[in-house]
Amino acid sequence: MSPIPVLPLVINGCMSALGSLATLKLIPAFKDHFISARLYGMDLNKTNKKEVPESQGVISGTVFLIIMFCFIPVPFLSCFVEEQCTGFPHNEFVQLIGALLAICCMIFLGFADDVLNLRWRHKLLLPTIASLPLLMVYFTNFGNTVIVVPKPFRLLLGMHLDLGILYYVYMGMLAVFCTNAINILAGINGIESGQALFISGSIIIFNLLELGGDYRDDHIFSLYFMLPFFFTTLALFYHNWYPSSVFVGDTFCYFAGMTFAVVGILGHFSKTMLLFFIPQVVNFVYSLPQLFHVVPCPRHRLPRLNPDTGKLGMSWSKFKRRDLSKLGKLILQVAEMLRVLEVKRGQEGDDEFVECNNMTLINLVLKILGPTHERDLTTIMLLIQVLGSALAFGIRYHLVRLFYDV
Amino acid sequence: MSPIPVLPLVINGCMSALGSLATLKLIPAFKDHFISARLYGMDLNKTNKKEVPESQGVISGTVFLIIMFCFIPVPFLSCFVEEQCTGFPHNEFVQLIGALLAICCMIFLGFADDVLNLRWRHKLLLPTIASLPLLMVYFTNFGNTVIVVPKPFRLLLGMHLDLGILYYVYMGMLAVFCTNAINILAGINGIESGQALFISGSIIIFNLLELGGDYRDDHIFSLYFMLPFFFTTLALFYHNWYPSSVFVGDTFCYFAGMTFAVVGILGHFSKTMLLFFIPQVVNFVYSLPQLFHVVPCPRHRLPRLNPDTGKLGMSWSKFKRRDLSKLGKLILQVAEMLRVLEVKRGQEGDDEFVECNNMTLINLVLKILGPTHERDLTTIMLLIQVSTTGGYRYRVGAPVS
Repeated sequence: MSPIPVLPLVINGCMSALGSLATLKLIPAFKDHFISARLYGMDLNKTNKKEVPESQGVISGTVFLIIMFCFIPVPFLSCFVEEQCTGFPHNEFVQLIGALLAICCMIFLGFADDVLNLRWRHKLLLPTIASLPLLMVYFTNFGNTVIVVPKPFRLLLGMHLDLGILYYVYMGMLAVFCTNAINILAGINGIESGQALFISGSIIIFNLLELGGDYRDDHIFSLYFMLPFFFTTLALFYHNWYPSSVFVGDTFCYFAGMTFAVVGILGHFSKTMLLFFIPQVVNFVYSLPQLFHVVPCPRHRLPRLNPDTGKLGMSWSKFKRRDLSKLGKLILQVAEMLRVLEVKRGQEGDDEFVECNNMTLINLVLKILGPTHERDLTTIMLLIQVLGSALAFGIRYHLVRLFYDV
Repeated sequence: MSPIPVLPLVINGCMSALGSLATLKLIPAFKDHFISARLYGMDLNKTNKKEVPESQGVISGTVFLIIMFCFIPVPFLSCFVEEQCTGFPHNEFVQLIGALLAICCMIFLGFADDVLNLRWRHKLLLPTIASLPLLMVYFTNFGNTVIVVPKPFRLLLGMHLDLGILYYVYMGMLAVFCTNAINILAGINGIESGQALFISGSIIIFNLLELGGDYRDDHIFSLYFMLPFFFTTLALFYHNWYPSSVFVGDTFCYFAGMTFAVVGILGHFSKTMLLFFIPQVVNFVYSLPQLFHVVPCPRHRLPRLNPDTGKLGMSWSKFKRRDLSKLGKLILQVAEMLRVLEVKRGQEGDDEFVECNNMTLINLVLKILGPTHERDLTTIMLLIQVSTTGGYRYRVGAPVS
């Protein structure tokens, strides 16, 4: 197995650090351009009505791309300078370029979504389009669609299972899932960039731990992407942290989700990567009734500011009892019984009204802790992310024995 | 040498045709999204003040990308299905993906420019950034920086000359040039999409003619990009033609310029490609005094509508005589003498004023032909584009590339 390419990693690290500084400077520098282009939002949880520039993910994303473009020849320098490689490793090169194509396309389509305000069905279509080059590269480079069956299912399915085209469906959906899962765990200052920062940090730690393992090359490949992503996002996080002077936009959620999907797929550790998404998965599952409109879903589900106390409380979804389907009523009952949903019932005129808290993880935390200041709430959410990562490492390195032979 | 890959070319052609239809439908479908996003302009040469959606190049560009993404495995299918290739041609695959990365990045940065209204220095920086992957792929795939010296210079420089890093500078500047050259030959309905359409059509004809030559693979590679570009631009041209119901935006100029630069560089025929850019080069050279502000340059240099006749006439740049540098005065005198510039001199109060027509090819054509209806003017400009491409066939000198 090849030795650890120390020099390329060091160069990547330095370029990432420079990129971090560049992003830090560029974000305030372009503020006026964004405001003039009407790419701004009002912070719904602040009493002042200041215009906050949106879509700043396009800046950190562009710096990321520039870093990666300049970095392209670096892992292969030894082939030119010292002529140390037996035949140019074209397939590794293709992987790098193909991954960048998917990420670049995603940043582009994400920015187009922010500008043009595309519909929800487009939010599922865009990541699929952007992941096409990834699928094509995977097809031509590996084409491997055989998975190792987890232990509990081996009696049923055997040791190995060829998923065939389903493997590609899985890869395509991974990108769709990652992008949208980050997008819906949102609404308080700093949570979007913060969660992505901690997820990428966890992936970096995982990659470093695995450098001593059998799949070193896959994890080096992942580091080449995660380091620039981490550092550019760090700069974005600095501006996005409470109180936010910039918002990241859907652009960032798309960018982050696709970058994670890319390293997970081409690094062959997508299952572990999903373990780092535990809070996002919990939020997604909890949100499902509202996402499918079984329980009515308002335009915004973020927590609400109480102007008197300055603290955030749960936000609510209010609807008529008769507008609720049987399934909706059932879900409300079960969730209320499990103490994960607060339901208020009342009468206004001729109609019976029902109110339930919006079904997001942030609201659930507020239900447990009571009204909290926004900065503390984001800190708690990020702590949950860290705990989720710790749990992920526990599952990956210990509980894994229940499912696979290691 | 490998046989002509008929099936991939046919598949590419069919996908391009479908893409054409898709673009045709998508442009009107997204009109409201663009207007709401305030990506619209007013047609300065129309009396009505209708809002015309801008940046429609982003739609034709996205359809182009989708076609190309789906097409990626097609040239290599024979390797999987029939296992007919001796070792997977990774370097050709890398070329394809690298080219798409440069084009995708350019469409993205072009759209960002349209939305954020970036400054002029950014218009030179963005194509350079987008061409980086192209340069990197060239470096790792070929790395060849040796050129064949043209005959007149051989006594001086020898048969071959290794340009080294200058070759990369040339490639980077090619992208910058192509994007901006298309961008400044603009201002009348249909000219931007039209010129790109005819340039790509010329490149396609050139590629088809060269399929029988020594560099078949390079020209097949070029066709893989030029066919989808031609057909998506055709649909855009349909909506952009006089009277324009949509504008293409800087996005399109960036997209077109980069696509041409990509096929020229990776197909190794950049010099021939520049021959198809003769009108753009002439316009660029003629514009240089104003681009460098030696002669004062107003915000818009497009021709002006005469509301009474309904025809377009030259547009003018007016300034005080004393604000003009010596070089500026010299340029005005020489150009006036060569009959390529019309200069008016006058007095207003204490100042002497000078007026000259804006130094664009379109204005020059109007100088020669007099006031012309917009639709006829664009047609004439496109005829100029077509007639100069004929020049390549009869050029004197070294063959191909």
